[in-house]
Amino acid sequence: MGLASPRIHEVPDDLLSAIDFCFDQGWTDGLPVVPPQVDRVTAMVATDPRPPATVVATHPATGLELTLHAAAVNAVMAGCQPDYFPIVVAAFEAMNRPAFNFHGSTASTGGSAPLLLVSGPYADKIGMNSDVNLFGPGNRPNATIGRATRLILRNVFQMLPGISDKSTQGNPGKYGFCIAERARGNPWPLLCETQGYPAGASSVTAYAAGGFCNIENHGGNAPEQILISVADAMANYGCITLGQSVVILAPEHMKIVGDAGWTRKKAQDFLFTKAKRSVEGMKAVGKYRDREYDSQHAEGAHPAVEKGFMHRGLTPDDILITMGGGDAGGHSCFIPSWSRGRGSIMQHAPIRENK
Amino acid sequence: MQLFDPTSSAPKRESVRAPALPNLEGLRIGILENGKLNAEELLNEVATLFVQRDGCTISTLAHKSNASAPAPSNALTKVAQEVDFLITGLGD
Repeated sequence: MGLASPRIHEVPDDLLSAIDFCFDQGWTDGLPVVPPQVDRVTAMVATDPRPPATVVATHPATGLELTLHAAAVNAVMAGCQPDYFPIVVAAFEAMNRPAFNFHGSTASTGGSAPLLLVSGPYADKIGMNSDVNLFGPGNRPNATIGRATRLILRNVFQMLPGISDKSTQGNPGKYGFCIAERARGNPWPLLCETQGYPAGASSVTAYAAGGFCNIENHGGNAPEQILISVADAMANYGCITLGQSVVILAPEHMKIVGDAGWTRKKAQDFLFTKAKRSVEGMKAVGKYRDREYDSQHAEGAHPAVEKGFMHRGLTPDDILITMGGGDAGGHSCFIPSWSRGRGSIMQHAPIRENK
Repeated sequence: MQLFDPTSSAPKRESVRAPALPNLEGLRIGILENGKLNAEELLNEVATLFVQRDGCTISTLAHKSNASAPAPSNALTKVAQEVDFLITGLGD
């Protein structure tokens, strides 16, 4: 449980002044926030049946704690509706696991942003976007859940640019990076199903994302053609590491892959096999390290690992693939993991729906 | 209008500095390298200076598999029993 009582500030009874007050306190991401009035916060935190002082996540380096109450304050500021709050909470429950390493991934020069992938019926229930303009603006839950994540990192965990957040360039996802998995027309089981949650349950997957790489292919009409384009992006010299990958296939691309009978596993295997660079090439650009090669090629290595090559990741399971985006356009994306290695491993958690 | 403060209301973890060593003569050095490029080389160079100047010995080299995560507490406990002081830092 969090120890101290939440602090309250008295400000003039004027909305614009309250917005300016939040700017003055350094509580924003550079954009105006919704002033966290007491009644709004109370309504937000009431969506979770646990006591407001319940600790959801703890910073591994500073010991700073995120309570449900503090999460609710920041969710209000981000513009969330109360029914978005279970996703914000689940995201930090996932990120709180040591393997996610949210201190490193948010402090590092690598400039990653937590990508939240919401899977299951709860996304539709609150009106999330999994369709056209998937990563773009315009959808309130996508925008504000992602923004709440950033505000919590800033305000609760004090990940402040230039002080504790040393991102060299950062990435636009640091304003908010939250999407829903598209169920309509998806030939594969949803992520929440593959993650082992019961029917009807939803999940959020958190991934320390290094940015966004568009994959354009309007001419290919076979799975291999589409996925080689993806693999090439995954293995470009700027991106290839031992880290994990997220691939969001556009519906046009997924139709080509799915109609040919390819399963998710077959696509993962194919991408892992093809997303590689030769040792000579890695040496030529100064990115080769014996230690990394050995960890990928050690006894028990995945059978697809090819001698003399560095693959992206350690196994095909390191590649999350699903579908998202609008019906038209051969634009998929690859989202690289944070920085150079396996410092953060993606995590998922159930969304606790308060029925 | 009443606004809740969005910053953490929980206390920060207390940190204390270890007491300064009275002298370095003949002490045992531990090295904790973080796995980053050149970290081991850099820390060994630093430790060698203590060997040359103060007659120290390098007794332990410990590794972190994840540069940005805290060192495992069992590794620190083990090293603490084997050395008099520890050198660590970022590579790259």
